[in-house]
Amino acid sequence: MAGKQIDLLQGTLHLLVLKALAPGPLHGLGVSHRIAQITKGTFKVKPGSLFPALHRMEEAGWLQPSWGESENNRRAKYYRLTAAGRRQLEAETEDWQRISMAITGALKAT
Amino acid sequence: MPLIPRLTSLWRNLFHKDRVEQEFTEEIQAYLEMLTETKIRQGLTPQEALRRSLVELGGVEQVKERVREIRMGQFIETTWQDVRCGVRALVKSPVFTAVTVLSLALGIGANTAIFSIVNALLLRPLPYPDAARIVDVWHTPPQQSFPGLDRFSVSPANYLDWKAQSNSFEQMAVYQDTGLSLTTSGDPLSLTGAVVSSDFFSVLRVNAISGRTFSAEAERPGHDQVVVIGHGLWQRAFGANPNIIGQTLTLNSRNFTVVGVMPSGFQFPLEAELWVPLAWDDKERQTRSIHDYWVVARLKQNVSPQQAQAEMSTISSRLEQQFPEQNKGWGALVIPLHEDLVGDVRPALLVLFCAVIFVLLIACANVANLMLSRGFNRQKEIALRTALGATRVRLVRQLLTESVLLAVAGGLLGLLLAGWGSKMLVQLSSGSLPNAGDIGVDTLALGFTLVVSFAAGMVVGIVPALQFTRANIGETLKQGSSRTGSSPIKQRTRKALVISEVALSLILLIGAGLMIRSFWKLQNVNPGFDTGNALTMSIVLTPIRYSEPHQRLAFVERAIEQIRSVPGVISVGTTTKIPLAGGGSTQPFTIEGRPAAAVAEQPMAQTRYISPDYYRAIGIPLRQGRFFSDQDRDNSVPVVIISEAMARRFWPGENPIGRRLTPSFHLEQGAREIVGVVGDVKTSGLDADASAMMYLPYKQAPLPFMSFVVRTASNPETLIQPVSKAIYSIDKEQALTDVGTLEQVLARSMSGRRFNMTLLITFAGVALVLAAVGVYGVMNYTVMMRRRELGIRLALGAQKMDVLRLVLGQGLTLTLIGVGAGLLSAYAVTRLMASLLYGVTATDYLTFVSVSVVLIAVGLLASYLPARRATKVDPMIALRTE
Repeated sequence: MAGKQIDLLQGTLHLLVLKALAPGPLHGLGVSHRIAQITKGTFKVKPGSLFPALHRMEEAGWLQPSWGESENNRRAKYYRLTAAGRRQLEAETEDWQRISMAITGALKAT
Repeated sequence: MPLIPRLTSLWRNLFHKDRVEQEFTEEIQAYLEMLTETKIRQGLTPQEALRRSLVELGGVEQVKERVREIRMGQFIETTWQDVRCGVRALVKSPVFTAVTVLSLALGIGANTAIFSIVNALLLRPLPYPDAARIVDVWHTPPQQSFPGLDRFSVSPANYLDWKAQSNSFEQMAVYQDTGLSLTTSGDPLSLTGAVVSSDFFSVLRVNAISGRTFSAEAERPGHDQVVVIGHGLWQRAFGANPNIIGQTLTLNSRNFTVVGVMPSGFQFPLEAELWVPLAWDDKERQTRSIHDYWVVARLKQNVSPQQAQAEMSTISSRLEQQFPEQNKGWGALVIPLHEDLVGDVRPALLVLFCAVIFVLLIACANVANLMLSRGFNRQKEIALRTALGATRVRLVRQLLTESVLLAVAGGLLGLLLAGWGSKMLVQLSSGSLPNAGDIGVDTLALGFTLVVSFAAGMVVGIVPALQFTRANIGETLKQGSSRTGSSPIKQRTRKALVISEVALSLILLIGAGLMIRSFWKLQNVNPGFDTGNALTMSIVLTPIRYSEPHQRLAFVERAIEQIRSVPGVISVGTTTKIPLAGGGSTQPFTIEGRPAAAVAEQPMAQTRYISPDYYRAIGIPLRQGRFFSDQDRDNSVPVVIISEAMARRFWPGENPIGRRLTPSFHLEQGAREIVGVVGDVKTSGLDADASAMMYLPYKQAPLPFMSFVVRTASNPETLIQPVSKAIYSIDKEQALTDVGTLEQVLARSMSGRRFNMTLLITFAGVALVLAAVGVYGVMNYTVMMRRRELGIRLALGAQKMDVLRLVLGQGLTLTLIGVGAGLLSAYAVTRLMASLLYGVTATDYLTFVSVSVVLIAVGLLASYLPARRATKVDPMIALRTE
């Protein structure tokens, strides 16, 4: 695990979960692994924040849960992006890019 | 976002918390196990892997708690948002809000009011422990003597045999209601009481709150001068005196010691406030053919009323064989007490309940229609929100929140209406409902209102909500404000709603029409006597001062004399029971010169004991022979006067005058000569056939109870005071009861019918107005939507008449389809109310036709206003504004 781990802001966690689920359905541990993988270990999402986030997003209609078999034949709850979730991902990505550009700009300013 | 899974999730969160909880536990468990496996694969020992995973998880319960908060929190937050949003939207359109809330309040209020009656009478168990096991036991009389009667009171000897021979009952008790006059410092107080056997209270399982009830000892003659008083009387007449036990009361001129006070609300039989012991002497215990008592019993645990019935039937037929002379044809009927009390009002209540449900359905259809029209204006808002990312569920949920808000507001208002309405209903029923005092809006009625409100909100909201959110966003946005017409689906929905409104109100109107026709027919029935300007009051002479016939005779003669001297009195008569007041005694008789039959098989006739002036006072006409005179006394020839019905039945085509008959209660006086035939009177109700009646002169059989009939020159009410005073001047201890006018007696005999009719008319009226509003609304909307088209038609040379005809035709089509559907359903439904009708059939074509005509006229009128507006469309303006 390279680099130091950073605490996630609420909004960014949603964005990362949406991003992690964009390629296809995953269960909770899968989401956590995928986030670690795509952020190269910078963010490691703990269950204490992962599950509340997953359920909040499910309530918001961005995720569609279903029960399925895991790699080693265990019943696990899988999450899949809904159309609304996909739109949310686009919207949040756009927002994030604006914010990060603005902040990068602000930091570069003298 | 798919609708169904979202709705199910919502549903699950609210109503299947356990399953949600369990699924989450499973989810966490799977996570933990998979994490551990990952760590094992990375080379840790199983124990170490599990330990680290648990640390990483950081407390299963805390995680669960946070998820729980989020799930519920999210729900509450969204709902709160929707509520605020909804309130804002509703406040912005006050007219719409007022109209919908009012219609729903009417519908829901009527439902709650009727439900509170249904609840108090049909649903709520009687206020006795284990009340389902309490039954009434009746005689069933021989049908040839009492056609149509299925319940008859019981004779002492038969009761004693039932009690001794039956095994189905824990206890069996016997009682009889009685009028008691309580001597006070002022006028005597006339009270309803009951004479009861000692196990009466243990059958009901109700105990005195102070003192005790009766011991078996009290059934022995000479030990029976004890009394138990009701809570209400204790408070009213004795100021809730805690030392009342042991005090002496003077009832019917006899002294009784108070031994107990019953709990408040205890009233059995109906309206009883005093209970005294029943003490039969040996002669009474052997009486088998005088049926004068009521029997109530408690079934043993696990014995059904049917089993008890089977046993009682066996016992009765054994008694029939044993005592054929008195018991031939007399059976037994076991009927649960609750059923016995409310059985008569159940059909009417169920009809009324159906009626109010119809009213609510019509109100809902109307409100749904209003919401559809309103939603049209909101379609752009909805499309915009959809474009901005609102899901369909979210929108449906918001619209539903709005309609539920409306319905709950309507429900609250309806609750107020119902609280007031149920009081009105009790007044309106004027005694035709048993236990009317218990009627009111209680928690169950409150819950009912809540459920009905929510259901109504959902019902009126779901159709519009689904329709709007189905709309294609692009389409709506593109259309902008150019309204060329609304989608055919929406129009179809609206029309279907209006058609069902018309159909439902037609059914209600037909129901009301049938009731009105019955009532008219009944009012035109001649009761056989003159109800105008006449007063009546009853008295029971207490045995202690009036044990001897000559004492009673003296009292009656003096009373008649005193009343006659009151200014304004034209004539005075006495009888033993006023017609239409209910009750009255019946006795068997034999006709001279015809073969004798056993007592049980002898013909029966209603019997009255009257003074010579009775017929003149009450206005019963003489048909043949003569009235009684003062010369018909105890030492003259025994005489009898019969009614036309009796003459027709027993002397068809013959002259009964001069024939002789022997009433079985007066065997010692021998055969009586028929000296007159008088007109028939209705005794038990205007809807019943006139029964055979015989009248005996009271001087030849002076009974201790009588009713006065006083014919007055002017308004009889003003004479109530002076006439009562005249009677009290003779004896201050004899309380007068049932004081009132004959008009009131007549009105009371129809109060049940009047109650049902008034309610059905009210509901049908409300339904008619709602349906008219519905038709108007749809036609108005259609005209609005088609303004452009109508404008073009007018511009192209269509005449105003053509437009008028076009719109009216459409309104008429809707109404006609509704009427057609309504007629078909009414034909099927009204027969359920057959038992409430008199003189008309449930499918009376006159009612069906005239009601349809009325409804079609109303439908035309409701479409005429929009049609006229259509003709006034200015083609130029119509085309330009679009």
